[in-house]
Amino acid sequence: MTFKHSLKTAFKGLEQNRARSFLTILGIVIGVTAIILVMSLGQGAQSLILDQVKGLGSRTIIVGAGREPSGPSDAGQIFSDSLKQKDYDLLQRRENTPSLKMIMPVVFGSASAAYQSETYNLTIFGGSPLFGNIFDLTLKSGALFTEEDVRANAKYVIIGNKVKNQLFGAGEAVGQTIRMKGYNFRVIGVLVEQGQSAFNFDEAAIIPYTTAQNYVLGIKYFNRFVAEAQSDALVTSAANEISLTLRESHDITDETKDDFFVITQVTLASSLSAITSVLTIFLAAVAAISLVVGGIGIMNIMLVSVTERTKEIGLRKALGATYRNILTQFLLEAVMLTGLGGIVGILLGALLSWLIATAIAHFSTIAWTFVFPVSAAIIGLVVSGAIGLIFGLFPARIAARKSPIDALRYE
Amino acid sequence: MSLIELNNLVKIYSNEGVDTPVLHGLTFTINKGEFVAIMGPSGSGKSTLLHVLGFLDGYTSGSYRFEDQEASTYAGDDTAHIRNKKLGFVFQSFNLLPHASVYENVQLPLLYSDISESEWEKRTRDSIEKVGLTHRTDFDVTRLSGGEKQRVAIARALVCNPDVIFADEPTGNLDSKSGGSVMQTLQDLNDRHGHTIILITHETYTAEHAKRIIRIKDGLVESDIELVERRHTEQGILMK
Repeated sequence: MTFKHSLKTAFKGLEQNRARSFLTILGIVIGVTAIILVMSLGQGAQSLILDQVKGLGSRTIIVGAGREPSGPSDAGQIFSDSLKQKDYDLLQRRENTPSLKMIMPVVFGSASAAYQSETYNLTIFGGSPLFGNIFDLTLKSGALFTEEDVRANAKYVIIGNKVKNQLFGAGEAVGQTIRMKGYNFRVIGVLVEQGQSAFNFDEAAIIPYTTAQNYVLGIKYFNRFVAEAQSDALVTSAANEISLTLRESHDITDETKDDFFVITQVTLASSLSAITSVLTIFLAAVAAISLVVGGIGIMNIMLVSVTERTKEIGLRKALGATYRNILTQFLLEAVMLTGLGGIVGILLGALLSWLIATAIAHFSTIAWTFVFPVSAAIIGLVVSGAIGLIFGLFPARIAARKSPIDALRYE
Repeated sequence: MSLIELNNLVKIYSNEGVDTPVLHGLTFTINKGEFVAIMGPSGSGKSTLLHVLGFLDGYTSGSYRFEDQEASTYAGDDTAHIRNKKLGFVFQSFNLLPHASVYENVQLPLLYSDISESEWEKRTRDSIEKVGLTHRTDFDVTRLSGGEKQRVAIARALVCNPDVIFADEPTGNLDSKSGGSVMQTLQDLNDRHGHTIILITHETYTAEHAKRIIRIKDGLVESDIELVERRHTEQGILMK
């Protein structure tokens, strides 16, 4: 029997029981839909996160105090005060960091800001005049503070767009005075709205780092250094120069004992995408369980079908069908069922994730993009076909083994 | 030339240690071109004999030579190929594929044959013509009368041009008129096309359409006679 006719025979077998065939593949459809949905949304989330990381700037290097925790018991916070003024001075020297274009210390904390009767809880960033440059910030009005202001511990503040709206409404903010931690700060600038980015500057206040250390936070160390490399190609060597300089400054010989960590866009992107990948695979695996359940459903229905069609099997055998002919017929029926379920599931999953992506883009400010996971679609199709083969084999063997006389006599 | 040669054929069913002998030692020969009726009351073993002759079941001892080869030397797929190429079956309950046309039903054995696909259509149409159902070719078999259904089954049995056609109570489910048309078709195939036909029946008036009647009782040949005066269904009515 040619494969073409085996296919035709199997197709006719399924066509005669359309309602049942449809119900049988529902399990597979739901399983594949779930997998496609999870994979599509997972990839969408991943590209969203990566886009935000890109907002960090490809040349930006962040140095953090403490150690990147290697596990829940790792006390990374122990070294949270490890970045000092001495380190800043060393990193600023060109002979130590030739690949760096600029570097700025950053401190941060939270505070409540008050203007007249309005108060607002915000994040305070302490930085240098390079702040706008490094984070690519644009001022809507006013100006950034200067080196002079930093040295003078000036109580000047630049506020984010949302802070301005909350405290001042439509009124003019620049030149007004707000109160934070018991000190009066003069607003000297307002940022344009930033939207989604690596840091939420819309709800922040930026002040000179000296002022932040001495008046607002009361600390002698820095939380971060934020630096920019001369060029994209020099990011890695700049990161290395920073590490070497800090190790020498902190008398560290074993790099596993570093009391600081250096993040670039590349390292951040890879660790974040590793996290989302693991999460996506985990969810897809959960969804895959429903495929197994669907496969058992297929096996169940195929067994019923084999019993129901005992007479047909007997007839075919009497007319010359071999063991292999019958086996092929029923296996193909199972694989066609699951394959069809897979295709429907892929289409349904793609449709649903497109709808969700469109809804997110429409109803929120998140720049979510629809991703069709081609690899998941291929895997979904192959897996559903394989499930047909695996779960169809047992019923098909029962069919093929039937003795023609017993089968012909069956009523 | 002898087509079927039985020599002391014995068939014993064994079920959970209990042996039930059905055929006790049958000996007869059937030649090419014969129209033989095998008769016997129910329980006589005629159905079992048909299964053995039709390569649907094995036998316990003795000899069954089909075209000069011992049947027991065929095994597995060989029996399927023999059934496909050399044997045609017509069953009491027609056993047609439902929801399929006359054409599709008649073509069915060709799917399992090694006959090239280019010949399928001609063979199928020729078979349908031989049983006089050309005007029903594209009908769904569920729309046919009982007699027409059985003639579709006969056309299906013919399509691979077998050496012998086994008809197991072919008129058993039919009224006398339909039964008549079926018997007429079988006679016609034997007289005009030279097909060998082995008819299994328990009714004398049906058996008398054959040229020879072998009566079986309790698994043994009771009588084996050539018919001098053969019944014909000229008017298309099966007379009791």
